Amino acid sequence: MTADESELRELRSSVREFLEAKSPEEAVRKLMESEPRFDPAVWSQAADQLRLPGLAIPEEYGGDGFGLVELGVVLEEMGRALFCAPFFATVLLAAQALLASGDQDACARHLPGIAAGRTTAALAVAEDHGSWDPAMVSARAVPDGNGDGDNGWTVSGRKCFVVDGTTADLILVVARTVAGPTLFAVDRDATGLAAEPMQTLDATRAMARLTLDAVPATLVGAQGAGGRIMAKVLDIASVGLAAEQAGGARRCLETSADYARVRHQFGRPIGSFQAVKHKCADMLVQVELAEASSREAARLADEDSPDFPVAAAVAHASCSRAYMVAAMENIQVHGGIGFTWEHPAHLFFRRAKSSQLLFGGPAVYHERLLDRLGI
Amino acid sequence: MESDDMRDFAAEARRFLDAHVAKAPDRTAFTWGEGDDSMAYFSSLPPAEEREFVQRAREWQRIRHENGFGWITGPVEYGGRGLTPVHDLLYDAVESEYDVADTGVLSVIGLGMIGPTILAHAQPHIKDRWLPAMYRGDAIACQLFSEPGAGSDLASVATRAVREGDDWVLNGQKVWTSVAQHSQIGLALTRTDPDAPKHRGITAFLVPMDTPGVEVRPLRQMTGGADFNEVFLTDVRIPDDHRLGEVDGGWTVALTTLMNERATVGSEGVGPVAAALSPDHLSALMRATWTWDDRALRARLAELLVDVLATEHLNARALRKLRAGVAPGPEMSVSKLMYGQNLTRAAHFVSDVLGPRIIADTGQWGTYAWTELLLATPALRILGGTEEIMKNILAERVLGLPKEPATAAAKEVRS
Repeated sequence: MTADESELRELRSSVREFLEAKSPEEAVRKLMESEPRFDPAVWSQAADQLRLPGLAIPEEYGGDGFGLVELGVVLEEMGRALFCAPFFATVLLAAQALLASGDQDACARHLPGIAAGRTTAALAVAEDHGSWDPAMVSARAVPDGNGDGDNGWTVSGRKCFVVDGTTADLILVVARTVAGPTLFAVDRDATGLAAEPMQTLDATRAMARLTLDAVPATLVGAQGAGGRIMAKVLDIASVGLAAEQAGGARRCLETSADYARVRHQFGRPIGSFQAVKHKCADMLVQVELAEASSREAARLADEDSPDFPVAAAVAHASCSRAYMVAAMENIQVHGGIGFTWEHPAHLFFRRAKSSQLLFGGPAVYHERLLDRLGI
Repeated sequence: MESDDMRDFAAEARRFLDAHVAKAPDRTAFTWGEGDDSMAYFSSLPPAEEREFVQRAREWQRIRHENGFGWITGPVEYGGRGLTPVHDLLYDAVESEYDVADTGVLSVIGLGMIGPTILAHAQPHIKDRWLPAMYRGDAIACQLFSEPGAGSDLASVATRAVREGDDWVLNGQKVWTSVAQHSQIGLALTRTDPDAPKHRGITAFLVPMDTPGVEVRPLRQMTGGADFNEVFLTDVRIPDDHRLGEVDGGWTVALTTLMNERATVGSEGVGPVAAALSPDHLSALMRATWTWDDRALRARLAELLVDVLATEHLNARALRKLRAGVAPGPEMSVSKLMYGQNLTRAAHFVSDVLGPRIIADTGQWGTYAWTELLLATPALRILGGTEEIMKNILAERVLGLPKEPATAAAKEVRS
């Protein structure tokens, strides 16, 4: 399904209204110091009233069957509000990994619960080194019983940087078999699984370290398909992340411009000084490029365009930089007040830096772009 | 989502173009070492070729005009089509898919900026005399605005106009005047009241360029070519009926002109410089120079391409808005700013890839030719409003930041 422009506007305004009511700054600050790092009641409302978790899940699995364009609108708004919720890990990482696996049984088992907001999920790929490249995975999966995998598997190893890893009901793990990196499903209550929260630069996005000691697991998709699945998931997730970043960057720009209009020094609004004005214009340029690249990539994804992989890499790089620039300059425009704990500027700064580096940062995404361009 | 009106209009434009011209070749497809390796942004042609170039421009404008696309936004009584600026931009975008003569010599200044100004401010017989001629391709117009002492601060023009009976006598110097050497008319801003505040002592005149005392001299720019002019006005006598707007009301006239200075969607990034921003060309260059695995250069290339491709996405989305009948927002100004910056960065990136091959000509294809673009790029951050003025405009008009108190009126200058 595809929403037209007026439906997208309506979606945006209903999500914004919801988040303004349910995720104001006070709520974000409270949640970022609590466990779990989200409000289960608000999460249920997001699912029951707005049907957000199921927005882009196919109808056959209980979702509404929209695409990345519609999801992007929701993510821009969530990024603006620094919404603390298991949305990104569940919908962008785990659900997309299930869909990319092509495993209909696994999709039928897990996606309806995700779509309804009853199941939260996480995707565990990176290990101590932080790389999302499946080729770097050293966690191992071994088949039970006679060794053909029909009787199930057990997974052992360590995973880090697992977004929402301590709270997710379902954990998808990439582990190595003789056939190569492979996707597995692990239940949160499985024996041998231990999850501990990691201290994070950005407290609004929870991350965990998992220790897996012969944890019972179910194969998802084909053995050795982990590389192919992750390539697809990372493209989609980085465009989803880009939308969040574009939303956050736009919010920083608006906050700066609002402040520059009213803050007086030397008897004038500081926004009348070119040094400040040009800084804000530079932020605007970054934000416009970020929005265009993330929205365009989402559109190309929904059209199944061959240009999508390049566009995904562009969106990831462009939005990562835009958000970091906007978050940094937002503090600069505010001056001393922007450096205080009480001011929200640092929350965006933390989110911007953490998002930029989540999937590896410039060193990784620049090479990915060149690779996609055949350079 | 295209609106019906826009779809019909685009279809009509395509029918017209299909009947008259071929589709443009794919300008980004190329093979290293083959064809013309020119990287000229400014096209300094020998005089005979330049005359032919202008002739082809006039000819294509005449055909456009005969088919209803000569002045899309103009009133029907002057040979226009009476449609919106969005139709105009959409036509430009459709036409950019075709291999048509470059009409920039007529359209950028004359048809785009001076025409609407004449329409808004000239007396009826002046409109009758010049507007149909301009949009038919017969008359070329230039903008006699900038002076050595009036660049970004245009309202400080010092060229004097003094009333003598029914005439005015003009004396002064204009600079950076594009297409003056081909023009039949020029729109001049002059100082008529030196004692009034600077914005209130300016008067605008339409100057026939064959009037005695008008002298056009080529201005050689840093590339070595001469694509602009200086125009010297010495005792140039202009009848009062050639005045646009009120006496001392010329600033309003100038604003009309500058408001019509608009970026075009879809037509930028064509011609030889499109190659400078194409990933295929840049990667071929790195292979040819054995630098493709240099990690530092690769990182810079990626950063550059992110901006180039994101700017393309911005243009694509502005174009899609147009097709839906919606006027784009700040995308066009952002795109203009990025175009200058991207080309500048590309030129310096390529220079670093080429190393010594750009400081002396080894004769190798596709290397020293980049000096042409390198030397042109400083202009892209200045012409049509400097980067600094563009940023003021974005901050003030889009973000609503306050003007600088002392120069509040001067901020309206560049659009």
